[in-house]
Amino acid sequence: MATKQVRYEALVKGLHSDLYRYAYWLTHDKQVSEDLVQETFLRAWRALDSLKDEKAAKSWLITILRRENARRFERKRFDMSEYEEDSIMDTQSTSTEQEIENEWLRDKIAQLPPEYSEPLVLQILGGYSGEDIAKLLDLNKNTVMTRLFRARNQLKEALEKEPEKARFLHEK
Amino acid sequence: MKNSTTSKDMTSETKMDDLQFRRSIYADPSSLDEDIIAAQNDDPAKKQLAQELCMLDERIKQAMSIPVPDDLCDKLLLRQTLKSHQQNKRKSRIHLALAASVAIIAGIVVNYLQFSNSYNYDNLGDYALAHVYYEQGSFSNSTNAKVSLDSLNQKMVTFNGSFSDSMGELIAADYCRFDGMKSLHLVFKGVTDTVAVFVVPKKEHLEFVDKFHDDNLQGESLSYQENDIIVVANKNESLSQWQRAISNNINWSI
Repeated sequence: MATKQVRYEALVKGLHSDLYRYAYWLTHDKQVSEDLVQETFLRAWRALDSLKDEKAAKSWLITILRRENARRFERKRFDMSEYEEDSIMDTQSTSTEQEIENEWLRDKIAQLPPEYSEPLVLQILGGYSGEDIAKLLDLNKNTVMTRLFRARNQLKEALEKEPEKARFLHEK
Repeated sequence: MKNSTTSKDMTSETKMDDLQFRRSIYADPSSLDEDIIAAQNDDPAKKQLAQELCMLDERIKQAMSIPVPDDLCDKLLLRQTLKSHQQNKRKSRIHLALAASVAIIAGIVVNYLQFSNSYNYDNLGDYALAHVYYEQGSFSNSTNAKVSLDSLNQKMVTFNGSFSDSMGELIAADYCRFDGMKSLHLVFKGVTDTVAVFVVPKKEHLEFVDKFHDDNLQGESLSYQENDIIVVANKNESLSQWQRAISNNINWSI
């Protein structure tokens, strides 16, 4: 019992941020993300004995979270509406120039089709290779690479339409 | 994407074409693939594109790293602690409930084994013997008679019968449950020990036996219209005499 508690605490402390962010980019909703993460860890607790290798913990949790999200989708199919743009991020008083840019970029990321943004989140935030992502999402690797290409391509094009924002690409 | 290895096998001069490079670098700007690095080294424009994309990744990473609610970690840990606490509480409650159920069932079983509708006895005789043994200590042959004919007959009303005359010294007359049936248990003074007489309504589940005995006791049953009368006594008694006295004495109102 004690060791289970210890393992669980380590997982929560080490991975809750990654999971929350991943959930956020999946759902674009902070409250839903929190709920998803809670549900994910709850299930993780119940199934903790089935996790043999701590190194695989992150992928394991992501898989649980994706499944939970799919379930949520099934439940909420009828009251799903297109998210409203201004509800994506709450309007934090964005002071610094960099924060404004971040906000702008978040908006662009949120506008990517989910099948493009999901691998991108896994690659950039999760640090997963194309092969890992293919396994996680149950796709073949070429499909993943194509989606990653398109995701970056769209973001870069968006940036280039607004030279103000693209400025940092050429700094240094 | 990785067909670059095959092209390298063909000739080292073969360069990655632009499109191929673009696709690879866009898909993974920090790729350590040899061909991609070689292509960058050969072509400053490609190198620049790769650097731009790495910077883009850096920015995307910053943008994606949205703030995590401060209390999320605590919430997750607290929730789990509460959950396991509740589970433990629920477990102990279940244990308590289980213990209570076991106690109740044990009580029921004991009751059941004693006097009840249990069909633990195959026939009247076995049951009558068991009953007499159970109450053996309660009556003594030396007790002075104390039950009058009147009070006996009051009790006999339940069975639609009455005795016209006293048949001996009646030590006790009480209703009892005879294998779940309300019966009258009479205890008479006998030759050497008490004589038990049961008036039992007829029921199907006990097989009627007219004579029975074990090492110490003997019994005889007589069947009347609505009731059976069973006499149980030790071997010094003449049961047939008792039965004769009873049948001469008893009047059934129906």
